[in-house]
Order: sequence, then C-alpha cells, then structure tokens
Amino acid sequence: MASPSPTAPEHRAPVLARRRLVTRVEPSRLATVLVPCAAVALTLIGGTLLFALLGQSPTIAFHAFFIEPLTTRYGIGEILLKTGPLLLIAQGLAIGFRAQVWNIGAEGQLLLGAIAAGALALALSHVQAWWLLPAMMLVGTLAGAAWAGIAAWLRVRFQASEIIVTFMLSSVALQLLYYLVSGPLRDPMGMSFPQSALFHDAALFAPLMDGTRVNTSLSLAVIATAVAWLFMQKSLPGYRLQVGGLAPAAARYAGFAERRAVWIGLLVGGAAAGLAGVAEVAGPLGLLQRSISPGYGFAAIIVAFLGGLHPLGIVPAALVMALLYVGGDMAMVSAGLSNATTTLLQGLLLISYLACSLFGSHRLVRVDSLTVRP
Amino acid sequence: MIDLLAFLLAGTLAAATPLLFAAMGEVVVEKSGVLNLGIEGLMASGAAAAFVVVASGGSVGAALSIAALAGLVLSCVFAALVLVCLAHQVAAGLAVGILGLGASVQIGKAFEGRTIAPIARIDLGALSELPVIGRAFFGQTPTVYAGLVAVALVWWFLNRSRAGLVVRAVGESPSAADAIGYPVALIRFAAIAFGGVMAGLGGACLTLAYTPLWADGLIAGRGWIVVALVVFGAWRPGRILLGAWLFGAVSLLELALQGVGFAIPSQLLSALPYLVTIAVLALISRDPRRLRLDQPVSLGKTHVPRA
Amino acid sequence: MIQKPFDRLAAAVLGAALLSGASASLAADPITIGYVYPSPAGDVGWARELDNGRAAVEQALGENVESVVVENVPEGPDAARIMNQMASQGADMIMLGSFGYMNDGMKLAKRYPDIDFIHASGYLLADNFSNFQTRNYESAYAAGQAAGYVTDSNDIGMVAAYAIPEIVGLINAFTLGARSVNPDATSRVVWLNSWFNPSKAQESARSLIAQGSDVIFSIYQDTPSVVTVAEEEGVYVVNTSSDMKSYAPNHLLASMQIDWSDYFVAKAQSVIDDEFVGDAFFGGMADGAVSVESLSDDLSAEQRQTVEGTIAAITDGSFHPFTGPLVDQSGQTRVADGETLDDAAITSMNWLVEGVQTKLPN
Repeated sequence: MASPSPTAPEHRAPVLARRRLVTRVEPSRLATVLVPCAAVALTLIGGTLLFALLGQSPTIAFHAFFIEPLTTRYGIGEILLKTGPLLLIAQGLAIGFRAQVWNIGAEGQLLLGAIAAGALALALSHVQAWWLLPAMMLVGTLAGAAWAGIAAWLRVRFQASEIIVTFMLSSVALQLLYYLVSGPLRDPMGMSFPQSALFHDAALFAPLMDGTRVNTSLSLAVIATAVAWLFMQKSLPGYRLQVGGLAPAAARYAGFAERRAVWIGLLVGGAAAGLAGVAEVAGPLGLLQRSISPGYGFAAIIVAFLGGLHPLGIVPAALVMALLYVGGDMAMVSAGLSNATTTLLQGLLLISYLACSLFGSHRLVRVDSLTVRP
Repeated sequence: MIDLLAFLLAGTLAAATPLLFAAMGEVVVEKSGVLNLGIEGLMASGAAAAFVVVASGGSVGAALSIAALAGLVLSCVFAALVLVCLAHQVAAGLAVGILGLGASVQIGKAFEGRTIAPIARIDLGALSELPVIGRAFFGQTPTVYAGLVAVALVWWFLNRSRAGLVVRAVGESPSAADAIGYPVALIRFAAIAFGGVMAGLGGACLTLAYTPLWADGLIAGRGWIVVALVVFGAWRPGRILLGAWLFGAVSLLELALQGVGFAIPSQLLSALPYLVTIAVLALISRDPRRLRLDQPVSLGKTHVPRA
Repeated sequence: MIQKPFDRLAAAVLGAALLSGASASLAADPITIGYVYPSPAGDVGWARELDNGRAAVEQALGENVESVVVENVPEGPDAARIMNQMASQGADMIMLGSFGYMNDGMKLAKRYPDIDFIHASGYLLADNFSNFQTRNYESAYAAGQAAGYVTDSNDIGMVAAYAIPEIVGLINAFTLGARSVNPDATSRVVWLNSWFNPSKAQESARSLIAQGSDVIFSIYQDTPSVVTVAEEEGVYVVNTSSDMKSYAPNHLLASMQIDWSDYFVAKAQSVIDDEFVGDAFFGGMADGAVSVESLSDDLSAEQRQTVEGTIAAITDGSFHPFTGPLVDQSGQTRVADGETLDDAAITSMNWLVEGVQTKLPN
C-alpha cells in the first residue's frame, strides 16, 4: 500500500477519510496492559447482563462465578490446578502460532502423553525409585511431540494442512485411548471397567497445597513459561517472531526456513501438550480412564491468543480462563447456571480481547502526516 | 447385501447434506480470502434455533429462517472482528465458534432430549421403491436435494458469474482489488454473511431432518470436517461434494463393518473416517504447484484497508 | 441453591399433610441432597430416571429435604469440583449418577465422613459410601424372550455405547432370553464408542436393519433416537431406562423401565434418621427397581403368558436369568448346568454368550 506523497495536491475530503489504520511496529506498552483489562471488564459486564437475561440474580451469580473461587483455599487451589495445563500447553502452542503453524490438535497430543506415561507407570508398578516420574515425563513429552510430528511431516512432505491433520489425529488419539483402557491397559482387578489400575505413589506428583488438588506439576508450567520467555527474548529466531508476528516479513519465509518453523512449531506444541497429559494422569486423576482432559488442548488455544501469543501475557490469560472454568462449575451448584454459561463467557472474553486489540496493534493516523516509505 | 448397499447410498447422501450446506458457505468465504474456523458454533446455533422453533410449534420455514438468522448474526460478529477490528482470523473464528456453541446449548436447554417429527421424505411412488437406488435418489428429505442444488449454485456463482470473479479476485490479491477500487471489506463481509447463513442452514438440516432431536454436542465435530472438506476439495464445489460423500460413506461403512463382526477393534473402525481423511488429504495436497493454483493466495491474512 | 417453584409448593403441601399425620421424624433442619447427573435430564433416559427418583424423595419427605441438582457433568477431573462445591455448601447426602464419578467420589467421602454418598454403577464401598445398580439383566432376559418370538430373520441388532460389564450383561441376558424361546436367534452389536451421539446411534440402527436385523435393542441411549428409527423402518425395538411407547406406538416391543424411587427415598430417610449404611444395592424386579413396561400387543396370548411367567419367576426368585449351562462365544462353558452366576461375576462380566456374533472390542 503506497502512501501518497505529502506534496501531491490533495482535494479536501471529510476528516475521517483522511485517517488510515496503520499497523504498529510494536504494540504500545500501555496497550498491552489496557487491552486485556478492558477485555476482562467487558466480560464481567457482559456476564452480569447474561446472568440477568437467564433469570438469575446477577449479584448471586456474579459472586458465585467470579468472587467465590478466589475466596476459599479450595477455590484457589482449583484455579491453580486448572491453570497448570492451560499455561503449559498455551506456551507451547504460542510458539507455533507465532510462526503461523496452527496446531488444533493439542487435545490428542495431550492424550498421547498421558497414555505413554500411564503405560510406563503401569508397566513399572513395582518400581519405587525417584526416577520413575521424570521418566514418565520424558516419555509423555516425546509421545506428544511425536503425535504432532506426524502432522509436521505431512505438512512438510505433502503440504497437508496441519489444521486439519492435527484435529483429525485428536479424534484418532481418543479412540486409541478407548481401545487401551478397554483392553491392554485395563485394570485386571477392576471389575472389567474401562480404566487402568491406580498408579502407585512413585508415579504420582506430590501434593503442593494442603486441602487442594494442586501438585508439583504446576512447576512444569512455570518452567515452560520461563523457557518460552527466554526463547523469545534472547534468541534471534524468537526475537524475529516477536517483532514479525503477523508482519509481511514473516510471511515471506519460504523453503528451508518455513520447514523448520513447521517442525519446531508443531513439535514444541506437541511436547508441551504431552507433558500436560502426564501432569493430568499423574496428578488429579491417578490412573488412565476414558475421559482424561476436559478440553485443555482446545482451551489452551484460546489462552494463547488471549495472552497475545506472548509468554508473559499468557500467564494472566491462563489464570483468567481457569477462573472462568472453576467459577462456572461452582456457579452450577450455587447459582443454578448451566454449563453453557462458562462457554459463553469464554467466547465473550476472547471476542472482547480481539475487539480491543485493534487499538493495541493499530493506530489511526492522519494521512498527511505520513511520510513516504521505501 | 442389497439392503446394505441401499442403506450406504441413501445414508451417505443424507449424512453429507448438513456438511454440504456449511461447506458451500465456507468455500465462498475462503475464496474471498477469509478463513473461518468457527463453523462448528455456527452450525450448532442454527441447529438449536431451528429445533427450538419447531419444538415450540413453529413451521419448518420459520425454523429455517431463524437458523439462517442465527448463523448470520454470529458471522457478523466474526466479520466485525476480522474486517473492522483487524483481528487474527484464526483467533476470531475460534472465538465466535465458542460463542456459538455456548449459545446453542443455552438456547436448547429447555428442549434437551426432546424429539420432533422430522421433515417428511418425498415419496415418488414406484420410483422411491426401486431396489438400491430408490430411497437414495428418490426418497430423501427435500433438504438433500436442496444441498445438491446449493452445490450447483455456488459452483456457478464462483466460476461463471461476475460477482464470483470479484470475490475470487479479492481472495487472490486484496491489495490489487483495493487499488482497482473494489470495496474489499464489503465484499468479504458479504461472503462471510453468506457463509454464516449457510452454516446455520446446515445445522438446521441436522436437527430438522437428519437427527430430529437436540442435545449438547449434536454437531459432533462436523464443523471441523467442513473445514477439512473445503481443503480436500481444493476449493472447488464439485470436489467438495465428492469429499463429503467419501467421508459420509466411510463413517457409515464403519458401522456396517462392526455389524458384520470383523475381528477389528471397534475403536479402530471408529477412527477410520479420520484416518482416511488424513490419507486422502495428503494425497490431494502433495503437488505444491496444484495447491498454489487452487488455494486463495490471501487466505488467512489480515488485510488492512486503505482510506 | 435451586428450588423449583412447583417443588416448593408440593413440599409445603406435603409438609402440612405430614404435620397432621403421624409417624414423621422430628422437625429437624431439612437435609440437603445433591444430585449429579452425567447427562441432561431430558424427557427420557438414565438421567431422567435419576431425576424421577429425586422427585420421589421430595414428594415423600416434603420439607425435610432440599435438593440441589447439577446436570450434564462430564466424567473426569471436573466432576470432583462440582461434588466438592456441593459438599462445602452443606450437602448431607450426594447422589453420584454415573460410574465415572467413583474415584473422585470416594476421595471426597474420605474427606467428609459426615456426608453420605450413593453412587451408581460402581464397586467401591465405605461406611458413608453406598453403591446402587440395576438388575437390568432381568428385564433384558424377559424382553429378549419377546424378541425371540417376534423375530423372523433371527437377527437381533443391538446398539451399545461401550463394552462395560453392565452392558455386556444386558447383551448376554437379552440373547439368552431370545434363544430360550427361539434357539436359532442370534444377535450382533454396534459399539458407538461414545456415551452420547444420537446421530451415530441412528445410523447404527439403520445399518443393523439394512444388514438384516428385525429387532433392535437400544442399550442406554438417553434419547429416543434409535426408537424412532425403528418405528420408521418398521422393525421392533426394545429400549432401556424409560418407557418410550409414545415414540414408537406401533413397534415398541418393550421398555425396560428403571425406578429408583424406593431406593432413593429409603436412603434419604436413613440419612435423616442417622442410620445410613454403606452397602451395595442391586435393584431387581423383586425390589421394584426394574420392570418390563409396554409389552407389545403383537405378542400372541401364549407368548405373552410365557414372558409374564418369566417375569413372575424372576420376581419371586425361582428363576435366575444367568442359570447354566452357559457357553461363551468360543465354546467354553462358563457356567455349569444348574449353577447360577453370583453378583460379583455378573458385575464384572467380560465375556459374551454363544449366539452373539460380535466380539468384544478388546
């Protein structure tokens, strides 16, 4: 888009037409803080309106949804419990998203990680050593990465859209899980129910907070955040991704660079998801069963976007999403809301964020203040 | 054997219909350069809305209109995000999709688990009684035929009409179209709105004709299958039609195979439609030049409008 | 907490009636019972019958009880949160409506020894943790006999979600019942691999019909999806949980009704009386927990008599559906002549009887 030369004769046009949206090189500092706050505020307002529309007392519902989870130890614990996997997976996904690699199948990669770690725990159920849990984490991470790697290979070799392949593989992973817990990994003492035996203590993460379900796997999410931030701040590819983002320069990567971006983007996302899967089964679940993830893989995509695809931004995004989940569950009991309310609010949150982001990533400028750029 | 063949033929055509409506909408949207990943939510809202209207005593016509409206409203939100707020298309699509899913559950809450009488199949007498092809070709609900008509219409629109050419031009190079003077945002808006209406109608087909009841999760991932179909079919309506039939046929075949009693684990059979999709997708996409020819160049990229 | 207006009124009326009556318990604080359902309590289905149980409790105990209901709670780590919220809000008893809530429910029970739990379809027990299951296989056997009578193709099609022991037991009982009156009858199963996918359930039913099934057994489908398809295609259908005659007036062969009213009321009363016992309840015909409803008029008088005779024999205990000799699919005799399967064997059943063409998905 060429800018008009400031010396060319302009004919007088309405004021608004003389303004143009221009992409900022880097979002303003103020915007990166204000935009999420505005989004949260809009969501709170919208939510309250929604509660009223649904015939519930707005104050009771508001309290149950947003206040109550923050006021009890258990509530805070649950928020942290949910934040862990969301944060971990979102960090991995964001790295891929920044490189325009769209991993929609984190859910399946999570399941593969869970399966691998679970299988190991069951196979080594007599082992009480300290290395079992790290071994489980390793195989889980590798399994998740490998599952995503299939999509990477198909994209690099066959140009197959990773959006579709990762999603399809998610569905396949689910069937694989069903198969395993119905047969090969089923608890022989479990009355033929489709779940595995309980993992022994050496295969479980240690509890972190008394009276809650929070366990040491939360540290994985923290470490992942630190690693992601370092990668972005300190490494050249990371820095390029940060500045480039959606800029044309990033789009011009071709050939070798693009292949590397696809592999890295998918493998990192898959690894993170796989590790999160380990945290689920070696944490609050303690076994393998048919339902392992309440949609973390998909929710993490939202968290990644809400965090502006930035490692530090993803942290509050994960916390807010976790709050919505936990608040929603509590509101189902205390305020008679349905499970749809959580989903609606999550949608509203992301939409508000995207709408407000306009002001973070672009600004209005008067046309005649533009200079000609090469 | 004959009955099984009849079932597969008729079932495939019927199962493909909701997918076709939504896919025809999405192909137009993508041809204009916009990627909408929120189809699942759009379909869900259309499905819930249509169901509620009929279950409350409304007519099928009213139900279809409300379903189209629901899809339209949601797609307008998407359009606003993508065209005005210049949001990232992937994020915006997912956001609207989630909103649509939540809305659908809320709308349908009071009607969960109910059934309604589905739209009646047409009955052409002796024709409908023909073995194997009778039910498949001459005994379907009107929505099936409407779906096929939609494919033909969209094909004609994209390939033979002036307006379709403009849409495709916008998708290939929005900046060039902008320079010529076409209102890129407006054209994309129209395409997105059309996509929303069609997705809503696709959802309505599901609850009014195919599975005449409503419950959370009824759409069962079809919105994502639609995204896959559009890529599958290389953004060509005819190929998308074949893809929809393929997917439908494999899904039904899986059930038939289970009934026959093969010693294949049923979970593997349940995974079959997805595995087949991946395999076919890889085969279709493997020629990079072909792909570049078919795929709208600006697909997924945000276009910042000139003043 | 939720108080449906009608229930409040009913409770008030009954409360007044009770006051004027005799043997009510002392006017203590009302107890709160939390109900957790795995699916929406629609017009029919598993959750509907659980909810009918709740209604019975409210009706019987009036203002001595308050209910909190949460529907559509997916099995998995999130369910624990809902249960915990109920517990922290002061529930005295919690009804867990699905197998998948077992482990989290037990953990909660250990943390809150003062709260009593009743859990559906599981196998864990504790002082404050009971479980309850149906002897649905009893009505499955009787309905199977009806199926054996009406089938011409000798091919019975079954639509089931997963191969859990309870469902395996139903498949076996149904097949045994059919073959007891029609030794040539066989059955086959399509596994949906999903608890909830009505579209797929319908497609499965159509597929089975296309492959020759003329009787369909719809196992734990919470919607009338399969039943309506059967009616449309003109084949007989048997369903579980609720009476679905209205959805298939011409072709419903039988509905295997579940009724939790007596059990729920008894357990709620025991909580009020502080006499809760953590036991296993196996509700059969004799307990009134399962029954065969809407037995089709298309059966001849003689056939009807046989089926009803079977029902009577099961109810008074003189006949057990899983009486040997029982041979499995591979030809091995699992139950010897004259012996019966005990409850433990029934609740962990992982083999299919001869006559079922489909193998278990392991």
